Amino acid sequence: MSATRHTRLLLFAAILLGAIYLFPLYWMYATALKSGSEIFAYPPTFIPRGLDFGIFAEVWATRDMGRFIWNSLVIATGSMALVALLGTGCAYVLARYRNVWIDIALFLVLMLQVLPASLMITPIFVGFSALGLLDFPRFAVMLAFTAKAMPFFVILVRATFMSIPAELEEAALVDGNSRIGAFALIALPLARNGILVSAILIFMQAFGEFVYSKSMIQDVTLQPASVGLNGFMGPNTVEWNKIMAYATIYVTPILAAFVLLQQRIVSGLTSGALK
Amino acid sequence: MRSRRLLNGYPKMKRLLSSVTDGKGFDILLVSLPLLFLLAFSGLPLLYNVLMSFQEVDIFSLGRLIRPFIGLDNYRELFAAPEFWPIMWNTMLFVVCSIAGQFTLGLALALFFDTGFRGSSFLRGLFLVSWVMPGLVVGAIWNWILSGDFGVLNYLLTSSGLISENIFWRSDVDYSLWAVVLANIWLGTSFNMILLSVGLAGIPKDLYEASELDGANILQRFSTITLPMMRSTIGAVISLGLIFTLQQFDLFAAITSGGPANSSNVAQYWAWELSFRQYDFAKGATVSTLMIITVMIAAVLYVRSTRHEVRI
Amino acid sequence: MTIQPQIELLSVNKHYGGFHALKDINVTIPKGSFVALVGPSGCGKSTLLRSLAGLESISGGEIRITGKAVNDTPPRHRDVAMVFQSYALYPHMSVRDNMSYSMRLRKASRAEIDAAVADVAAILGLGDYLDRKPNALSGGQRQRVAMGRAIIRNPKVFLFDEPLSNLDAALRVHMRKEIRALHDRIGATSVYVTHDQIEAMTMADHVVVLKSGVVEQQGAPLSLYDTPATKFVAGFIGSPAMNFVGGIVGDTGRAVTLDLPGAPSLPLARTMEPRRQVDVGLRPEHLSIETGGAPGIETTATSVESTGSVTYLYCGGDPEIVVVLSERERISQGDPVNLTIAPDKIHLFDPETGAALR
Repeated sequence: MSATRHTRLLLFAAILLGAIYLFPLYWMYATALKSGSEIFAYPPTFIPRGLDFGIFAEVWATRDMGRFIWNSLVIATGSMALVALLGTGCAYVLARYRNVWIDIALFLVLMLQVLPASLMITPIFVGFSALGLLDFPRFAVMLAFTAKAMPFFVILVRATFMSIPAELEEAALVDGNSRIGAFALIALPLARNGILVSAILIFMQAFGEFVYSKSMIQDVTLQPASVGLNGFMGPNTVEWNKIMAYATIYVTPILAAFVLLQQRIVSGLTSGALK
Repeated sequence: MRSRRLLNGYPKMKRLLSSVTDGKGFDILLVSLPLLFLLAFSGLPLLYNVLMSFQEVDIFSLGRLIRPFIGLDNYRELFAAPEFWPIMWNTMLFVVCSIAGQFTLGLALALFFDTGFRGSSFLRGLFLVSWVMPGLVVGAIWNWILSGDFGVLNYLLTSSGLISENIFWRSDVDYSLWAVVLANIWLGTSFNMILLSVGLAGIPKDLYEASELDGANILQRFSTITLPMMRSTIGAVISLGLIFTLQQFDLFAAITSGGPANSSNVAQYWAWELSFRQYDFAKGATVSTLMIITVMIAAVLYVRSTRHEVRI
Repeated sequence: MTIQPQIELLSVNKHYGGFHALKDINVTIPKGSFVALVGPSGCGKSTLLRSLAGLESISGGEIRITGKAVNDTPPRHRDVAMVFQSYALYPHMSVRDNMSYSMRLRKASRAEIDAAVADVAAILGLGDYLDRKPNALSGGQRQRVAMGRAIIRNPKVFLFDEPLSNLDAALRVHMRKEIRALHDRIGATSVYVTHDQIEAMTMADHVVVLKSGVVEQQGAPLSLYDTPATKFVAGFIGSPAMNFVGGIVGDTGRAVTLDLPGAPSLPLARTMEPRRQVDVGLRPEHLSIETGGAPGIETTATSVESTGSVTYLYCGGDPEIVVVLSERERISQGDPVNLTIAPDKIHLFDPETGAALR
């Protein structure tokens, strides 16, 4: 009897903690649904008085969000594809061997993971402009972001490959596979979940990418949603309900995907980040 | 058939090909492409950055590789700039306070969720939404929460009697940095919690039972079992925190833009500002070089703290 | 006409960096034979097997399968099948797909595959489990699937890497017989790695004992038991292990005096170099208790264990001598005993090199 009360109490406390922690998220949704005058009410209303869903359509149209989101999707999809294409093989080899060269490569990968984008953008911008890559700014962002995000992907996927016994591939070799065949038919299918989850994480990061896009994409028609949001938030803005509506449209798909895949993402993240 | 005979004629070619399908050649190919990519788009910029910090770069010489060398002039000018030391101090405050906040809250939450009641893992996972949201959106939300006259935080603080008049978080030089620290702590706490949870879950439960039988109370169990067993996890989490905090840019762009009067400016934002607001790429590269060295040191600490785990 | 050797290992060497894992291995395996590679862990037996499969490349020497050198042949072109210690069943495939994987890679027809799978499933009694995934099987069933995956290939050579070590004792004894029966039925050539000398002795036609990358001795199981070439082989083969006692050959060369209290002397069946230091090997099952007055090893029973069928007698202390008696003797702890052995059952070894003295 007291044991169940105890766990109920814990659950209640956990929900309370979660509510406090996620309040900023709630505040985004609540503000988006308020009218332009209600957001300046004092004391603030914690539950919007009237629900005005029309604001989303309005912000979508006036801020040209379709274009921004499309650009974000292009950059995120391209980066994810590049990262997955290059990173999977790298992660596989780094998982299968144990020698000095692998240690060096691993160290290199870990080191490159930590370089802040806002510091790397200076040389990347100058170098890319010299190479003429800035004429294809979204592609330039993909390249730069891929280099930034790949180490993280490699570390996560490497943990996945390490959990697959090498003997399975050896059995496949004896059964008649080439090295390539054993990788493609045995190792890859078994690592599929880990690769998928990691790729989704990369997609989410790329979808929110800001520094590179802000610095390298001058043409407003090619800018992603993060840069669009930044442009929306002038220093003296008062349209907070619209900004929050913009933010809502921008993050809700990501949040929905995250909540759906939560368990897998969390386990993928924790197995890789510390191992 | 013909291709096989062709290959037989060139034994070297054949060996190369069979090495790719059956031998080490396959692995070398798999690993070398991404490493070359990384070297080209991370390694080279890194070196180029260091090179630029010793050069005079203006808008005309931007596209050229060879520019006048000016030795340490960029560094000298940077150190002499009046904002240099305040910004470095801000950077340190930002890093130390963010990590302290994220870690403490993260550990407390991890310990709480480690009691393992029904639904704990789902609820714990929900916290991570703060981490998957785009930094700019997090910044926008906090910008609004921290708003001076209409911000909900000021309302909560005044109505609970903690402050008597509104704090202008974003425009008061005494508070602007703390505005970003607050948002950053919120952003990073969940990630800290998840990683620390993994460490906690790795401690065998019978250790606690044994120490309980030996008469240790809850605080003694925490200090004699939990902390020592978590040492490498804590090391990794703190160095990861250092790395992520030094990468934080979006929150500055979305909340204070480093202002007012550089009161919330930090090195990683300043480097970008120098390059892309003032078009002084050489100075931007110089700040970047200084910071990258710092980050590299953190990275070595991180790699060392996870090293034995990598060995498994 | 000589029998065509199926596998030849010609002075095979393997280095891992500075570590010399296989040293000049020479083994010839005739077609249709069952060969066991046996030795303590780290002796190189698994490395040798993996080199045969092509999973490791050798540093020197030559490996031939049906007369053809295969040093540079990748595993898939060697026509060998392997059963792994962990079974290495593909977890994402059903039992059927696991077994037919190699056939599907060879683009065998659907009908061919179905017939082969049905055949093998019948042999191994796996008919009811064909659509299950490996993680829904018991350990013994997984072992059978691993066997089935090898059998379906009808390869030139079967390789077994400690396939029974993950099974419980009763099942292990059962599978031992079954594998040997399968081998005879298929008429295959098998190479079987194990650390368990009983498996090697009971299953194989030819046993190769390895130690630190060197072949200590090879031959028929009973010849290893009867005439071990080295002290290591003598101690490794047989259970409980052979007793070793230091000793010195007497002045006549027809007896050996043991380094035991009372310096007992045992007659020899052959003449040895007089006054030579030797290690004397006495198998526990060859020792018996002398109740008449003949001279033997006078010692005390320190511990007696009876399993019902046999009695284990532990005598003396330094070194302890183990005796296996098949008769029930009325001996209890602390009783004096007099142990004797037939002269032709005494093994002598050089104390320096460990080589048997004949």
